[in-house]
Amino acid sequence: MKLGAVTRGVFTAFLALVVGAIVLELTGRDAVEVYRLLVEQSLLSPGALADTLLNATPLIFTGVATAIAFRAGVFNVGVEGSMYLGAFAAAWVGFTMTEWPPGLLIPAAFLAAGVIGALWAVLPGVARAYYGVDEVVSTLLLNYVATSFTGYLVSYPFLAPGAANAMSPLIAPGARLTRIAPPSQLNLSFVIALAVAVAAAVLIYRTTAGFALRAAGSNPRFAQSAGIDVRATIVMAMVVSGFIGGLGGAGQILGVNYRFIQGFSPGYGFDGITVALLVRNDPLGAILGALFFGALRNGGATIQLFADIPIDLIHVLQAAIILFVTVEPRVTGWFARWRQRPTKLSGTPLPVRE
Amino acid sequence: MGTWTQALLKNALDATAPILFAAMGGIFAHQAGLLNIGIEGMMLGGAFAGVIAAYYTGDIVLAVLAAGAAGAAMAAIFCLFVLGLRANVVVVGLAINTLAVGLTGYLLPTVFGVHGAFAPPGLRGLAPVRLWGIEAIPWLGPILSGHTILVYLAWVVVAATAFLLYRTVWGLRLRAVGQDLEAALAAGVHPVRLQVAALLISGFLGGLAGAQLSLGELTLFNKAMTGGRGFIALAAFYFGASRPWPTAGASLLFGLFQSLQFRLQPLGWPPQLLEMLPYVTVVATLVLVRVAEARRRARLARLVTVQGQRGPELGVGGAG
Repeated sequence: MKLGAVTRGVFTAFLALVVGAIVLELTGRDAVEVYRLLVEQSLLSPGALADTLLNATPLIFTGVATAIAFRAGVFNVGVEGSMYLGAFAAAWVGFTMTEWPPGLLIPAAFLAAGVIGALWAVLPGVARAYYGVDEVVSTLLLNYVATSFTGYLVSYPFLAPGAANAMSPLIAPGARLTRIAPPSQLNLSFVIALAVAVAAAVLIYRTTAGFALRAAGSNPRFAQSAGIDVRATIVMAMVVSGFIGGLGGAGQILGVNYRFIQGFSPGYGFDGITVALLVRNDPLGAILGALFFGALRNGGATIQLFADIPIDLIHVLQAAIILFVTVEPRVTGWFARWRQRPTKLSGTPLPVRE
Repeated sequence: MGTWTQALLKNALDATAPILFAAMGGIFAHQAGLLNIGIEGMMLGGAFAGVIAAYYTGDIVLAVLAAGAAGAAMAAIFCLFVLGLRANVVVVGLAINTLAVGLTGYLLPTVFGVHGAFAPPGLRGLAPVRLWGIEAIPWLGPILSGHTILVYLAWVVVAATAFLLYRTVWGLRLRAVGQDLEAALAAGVHPVRLQVAALLISGFLGGLAGAQLSLGELTLFNKAMTGGRGFIALAAFYFGASRPWPTAGASLLFGLFQSLQFRLQPLGWPPQLLEMLPYVTVVATLVLVRVAEARRRARLARLVTVQGQRGPELGVGGAG
């Protein structure tokens, strides 16, 4: 049985919500009421909807960025790092090139963010492709380097004059993205995120490079013997992934915070992994996945205030989604086999990942 | 200056203990061929369970055991998905970490009615142990004495890990499973049973690491208290190539970095740059080692082809 990425994503999300309901009921809360509030507070008014889109915006960037790397078979968990460095680069352009007109300043800030984010991904990409260094470990650890390093930058050399906490100076007014639904902070970076998702879909499904990327991800040996440079493809996927991660950082700085603040991302990069897994690494699906988590975050923040339901419940849902997604091929495999003939599974050894 | 250095080193030993436990836990899993990224979450779960058990029972031994058990329970979930359902080991590790943050963050306010840190009145942590003979040693004594029992136990665990992995048949089989599954199977080893055992030990040690955080270093729980120490442990056992003593050395170094962070900050040193050090060191080492290996292999390959070309001329082919 083969279902579309979106259908499977919706089903997985539904299962996770069931797990969430069980947790809520076990701790004496009315799950139906909580979910009703969640929907109401995240979707059912123009203001709530705008805030959901606002919360979804960084997750579209990180979800698409992660999906592209995963598609190439590279387990890039370092989008968070690219995002932090990109965000700082965008902020730097914004508070340094204050004389530039907005028409030049904003594209320059995005470009700087993307390039820095991409450069950050080159090392783990090359190390994986040409020297076999496990990209999971390198990207995971480099995230901490990126957050600490940008934290250092805004605590010492680029600390805003007079600020006590680690933050950069404010960016020039000309670098700020237009807010499209005040009083919500929803801004143009949402539109840019949508455009990036569409561009990523075109890249993956409609270009030669995208074909190489998918081939390298699904069967590297076959791809290699078919004349695809798998190593270069892996590096390319990492670069594109880092570039988009950097853009996401720029979107937050130019659209929401107007300066680089240490710890501005509450784990957008990691949420992007869940988004990518949920939609089976489909860039357009990532928009929907990001909207789902954007709604949870937005509605969750409100019900934390009014119903005293800790927003951490979202993390439980996330964990459930990740687990359901990873066992799905196994479960559907069982289902398919059960329909064909009821044979007993043999105890073959598991594939070990080094 | 003497007291400053002494305080620094004493602090470094405290900071090393949770890294040691978690890194040894990581080693058991890694030697069995499984990368346990979930160690951070198992640590957090252990820290949480330790505080809750200490609060309800008042028995510190039970509390530490509960912390270990909580870590092992999370490792059991890990086993179920990775070994039972053959899910990707990295993804499951990420899920375990997310689950730990989510569950502790959710349960704290809903069940225990607290926001932020859980530090109920009357909560008693681990008492410092005074080593009578050692305390008397000039200069060194005050550094080595006066830690919680877990700080000393951490080093016992290193020795035990080294013994178990390299001096017992069980350890040999475990390493065989990690290095060459096919060969291990052919030798009649039951890999899954060994991997389950390794993971449960891994989780238990992760839980103890958490206990040292919530009952040793501090006597409270908050959901951000592991603060990436599980990943420092990961860095440590990668640095030590999953061998116990080199890994312990790396853990000690990283513990020293951590205590330096807090002690150099008042002197105007940026703590963030010290924070980066463990990660930068490990990534740089990983890359450099692999590049050197690739170079050596390339040189070897060149040598082999050169000899291969010369072989027939010299008439070696027939003798072969």
